[in-house]
Amino acid sequence: MKKSSFPKWLDFNAMSSFERVTLLAGIVAFLLGLWGLYTRLFVGEREVGYGSYVVWGLWVTMYLFLAGIATGSYILAAFEYLFNIPLFKGVGKSALWAGLVTMPGALASIGMDLGHMERIIKVYLQPNFSSLLAQMVWGYTLFLVITVITLWMAFKQKAGTPADGAFKAVLWIGLVMSIFLSGGVGALLGVNASRPYWSIGLLSVQFPIYAFASGVSLMMIVVGWFLGFKDEKQREHLLRWLGWVAIGLSLAKIYILWAYLSQGWYSNLPGVIDPIREIMFGKYWWYFWVIQIALGTLVPLFIHMTPKLAHNNLWAGLTGLMVLTGFAVARANIVFPAMTVEALDGLPEAFFGPHLSITYYPTLLEWSVTLGVLGGVTLFFLLGARYLSIFNKPSEVK
Amino acid sequence: MAEAPKDVLVRMRDDLQRALEKAPGDRRWVMVIDLRKCVGCHACTIACVAENKLPPGVVYRPVLEQERGTYPNVSRMFVPRPCMQCDNPPCTQVCPVTATYKNAEGVVDVNYEDCIGCRACIVACPYGARTSDFGYTYLEELPVLDGAIVGRVTSEEYERSANYEYGKEYPRLNHRASPIGNARKCHFCLHRIHEGELPACTTTCIGRATLYGDANDPDSVVSEMIKLPNVIRLKEELGTEPRVYYLV
Repeated sequence: MKKSSFPKWLDFNAMSSFERVTLLAGIVAFLLGLWGLYTRLFVGEREVGYGSYVVWGLWVTMYLFLAGIATGSYILAAFEYLFNIPLFKGVGKSALWAGLVTMPGALASIGMDLGHMERIIKVYLQPNFSSLLAQMVWGYTLFLVITVITLWMAFKQKAGTPADGAFKAVLWIGLVMSIFLSGGVGALLGVNASRPYWSIGLLSVQFPIYAFASGVSLMMIVVGWFLGFKDEKQREHLLRWLGWVAIGLSLAKIYILWAYLSQGWYSNLPGVIDPIREIMFGKYWWYFWVIQIALGTLVPLFIHMTPKLAHNNLWAGLTGLMVLTGFAVARANIVFPAMTVEALDGLPEAFFGPHLSITYYPTLLEWSVTLGVLGGVTLFFLLGARYLSIFNKPSEVK
Repeated sequence: MAEAPKDVLVRMRDDLQRALEKAPGDRRWVMVIDLRKCVGCHACTIACVAENKLPPGVVYRPVLEQERGTYPNVSRMFVPRPCMQCDNPPCTQVCPVTATYKNAEGVVDVNYEDCIGCRACIVACPYGARTSDFGYTYLEELPVLDGAIVGRVTSEEYERSANYEYGKEYPRLNHRASPIGNARKCHFCLHRIHEGELPACTTTCIGRATLYGDANDPDSVVSEMIKLPNVIRLKEELGTEPRVYYLV
C-alpha cells in the first residue's frame, strides 16, 4: 500500500468516517465564509441586516453562543480534574481544547460586529471598567490565558494521578472565571434599563446554565464521533450520562423559560410583552417552537429514551448537535426580539433610511461570516486535536 | 414709545452671548420644545441633516408623528426628538473606551477617533437617539451620464467632504474613516454654539417651537419656560435627567 506523504494528523485516510465528514463540512463552511469575511473586511458593514434599531444581530448571538461553549467546556474539564467526578472522566483535554478554539471564534464573531475592529486595542489601553463590555474583553483575555495554562498542565499530568496544588489553583481560578464570565454576558444585556425585556433578573442566571449545557452537548459530539476509548463500554457509559446531563439542563432551560416568559407576560409591560409575543407567536415563532423547543429539547429527549438510538454513536452525536443548536437559538431569542420594540412610539416611521428598521433577519453576509467562523473553529478543533493526539485511545498517546 | 418685544430668536442669541462669557462648567445648555407650536414640517430634521452632513440612515432629530382619538374626534401631535443630553446618561457608562462622555458643558460628546463601533451606547439609550453610520451617501446609486445628469459627481464630492461636528473635520474618505462605523448623535450643534450661533434646528424652526439656551441664566428664555407647570421630560421614570423639556 502506498504510504501517504502527509503527517498522520493531516492524513485524510487515517481519519475515521466521522472525522472526514466533519472535516469536509468544516472546509465547505470555511470556504463559504471567505466571501463574507472578505466583504466585511474590505467593503464594510453595509450589507448587514442589523442597524440602529435592531442594534445587535447574528454575530453578537454567535459570540454569546461560542463564548458559552468555551466557558461551559471549562466547567466540564474542571469537573474531571478538580472534583475527579467519574461521570466526566476522559473528556478533560477535549473540553479544554474545545474551549481554547471556540473562544477565539467568539471573539472573531464579535470583532466582525465592530464598526472599527482595528481599534479593539483601545479596550486594553484606555478601558472604561464601568462598562461591562470592557470587563468582558479583559475577562475573556485572561480566561484564554488560563485555558492555555490549564491545557498545558493537563498534558503534563500523568494519567490517573490526582491534580497537584498548582494545577488545582489554576482550575479553581478558571472555574470561577467561567461561571462569572458566562453570567456576565447575560448581565451585559440585562443592565440596559432601556430594554425592559432584558431587565428581568432571571436573564443573567440563565447564561451559566446555557453555557454548561453547551459544553456538555459539544462533548456528546466529541465522545460520540471522535474520541478514542480503550473500552467501547466506557464511551457508551459516558454518552449515556452526558446525554442525561444535557437533557436535564435543557429541561431546566424550559423551566427557566417558563418562569421568564410567564412572569413577563403577566407584567403586561409593552417593552416586555411585545418581545414575548414576537418570540412565541410573532415572526420568531419557529425559532422558538421548532428549533429551541422541539429540535433542541423534545427530539433529543425522545432519542435518548429510545435505547436503540441512544446506544448508537451517530445518534448520540446528533443529539448533542441538536441540543447545541437549540442553545444557539436560545441566545438569538434573547438578543433579537428585545430590539424589535420601538424606543418611542412612531420612531421607525419618523425617518426612513438604510438600517432604520425594527424587523431583523440575518443577511447573506452575516450567514457567510458565521459559516466562515464556525468552519474555521471546526477545522482548528479537529486538526488541532489530531495534532495534539487528544482523540487517541489512551494507549496510543505518546 | 414702548420698545417692541424682541423676536425670541434675537433674545436667544443675546442669551447665548451672555452664556458664552461664562466658564463652560457654569453653563447649563437645555432645549425646550413647545409641542403646541410644532406643525410637523420636519424643517429641523432637514436643517440638522444639512448642518452635520448626515448620510442616509443617520438622523439626529426625527420628528415623531402621533395620531390620537377616533374619527371625528382626532388630532395629530408632532414630537421632535433630539438627543436628551441626559445628566445621568445610560450611554456613557456602557462605552468600553470612554469614547462617549459628558463634556464640561454637560453635552454628551462622541470622540469619533476613539469609538470602536460596538454600538453598546445605541442599545443603552432609552430614547433611540443614536444611529450608526454605515457609510452611505445619498447620491451613490445614481448613474453618471455626462450631459444627462448634472451634479452627480459634484454632489458626491460634497457628501464626502468634511463636516465640522465637535469642531473637527471628518471627511468621508472610505469605509474605515470615522464617523463611518461610529455611533452618532445630536450634540446641540456645539460647533455652532461656540461661534455664537444657535443650533441649526432652533434657527430653522418656522413656528419658534424649539428654544435653546442656558438654564443657569435666570433671564434666559429657556429658564422662563422650564419653570412653567406644563413642562414634561420623556421617560423621567428612568432617572436619566434629560436636558430636553417639552411644553404640552
